[in-house]
Amino acid sequence: MKYHATLLIELKDGILDPQGRAVESVLKSLQYQAENVRVGRVLEMELEAANESEARATAHSIGKALANPVMEVFVVEAIKELA
Amino acid sequence: MKVAVIQFPGSNCDQDAVWALQLVGLKAELVWHTATRLEGFQAAILPGGFSYGDYLRAGALAKFSPVMQEVRRMAEHGNPVVGICNGFQVLTEAGLLPGALLANTNLHFTCKEVFLRVERTNLPFTAGYKPGQVLKIPIAHGEGRYYADSETLERLEQNGQVVFRYAPDPNPHPPVGEGFNPNGSLNHIAGIANEAGNVLGMMPHPERAVEGILGSTDGLPFFTSLKQALEVVA
Repeated sequence: MKYHATLLIELKDGILDPQGRAVESVLKSLQYQAENVRVGRVLEMELEAANESEARATAHSIGKALANPVMEVFVVEAIKELA
Repeated sequence: MKVAVIQFPGSNCDQDAVWALQLVGLKAELVWHTATRLEGFQAAILPGGFSYGDYLRAGALAKFSPVMQEVRRMAEHGNPVVGICNGFQVLTEAGLLPGALLANTNLHFTCKEVFLRVERTNLPFTAGYKPGQVLKIPIAHGEGRYYADSETLERLEQNGQVVFRYAPDPNPHPPVGEGFNPNGSLNHIAGIANEAGNVLGMMPHPERAVEGILGSTDGLPFFTSLKQALEVVA
């Protein structure tokens, strides 16, 4: 089976995110009342797996390999079976 | 006495590192990142640049290069391993040094001369400096803000693992405030060593300060120290 996986990598809470701050100040200048803007990364991929839980486990292990635990956290945001 | 200068795709200070090593009389050879053996080398330098285009994160993909297993082996064996700029980022990503390098607080890629205070001189890289000596060395990076959680930071300070710290210009009229810290690094950290003291990472570029024509020779003792340390071992 083929699965589409979405991984989200974000800076940990409490770590200064200057990118988020820059985006926030632009949003404010556009009159949006947005606060605590943080910028993360989305990784999308297709995985071959026997079932959904195996695909999820693979995505989790990829997240572990790619995220830096010193300053980042990751979540497997979605696993979707591909037709 | 041969030093390996590791070339990742996107390294761009590799030739400068070779030049600086040869200037002090060390043999230096470029080693492509797919190498699986570093036999015959007594030390390794991971040079500056943009390995793998800094994709994902600076240094994040280079840590998976085959040569990194050998670099890790050398580090564990006690051989000197140096990471300069992107090389420092690779060493933290690989877990050979604690902490991480994040985007500069002001989000600028900053290329200028800065001042560093030498905090520790009993290392193979710093024996040629005086304790507390202030050096003029250039930086050139966008992600140089040293970060570690508070326990790690405390441990680094207690163990004396902070080797270089950003410092004010020692010349008359020093700037007020903390403007001398170019990137927002915690504790003004510019370079650290591992606990054993044989692995060192630093954001500034000592190899760009080895000849008068470059504006500073303050990086020269870094390489002469390394040479002397290697001669003692041999």
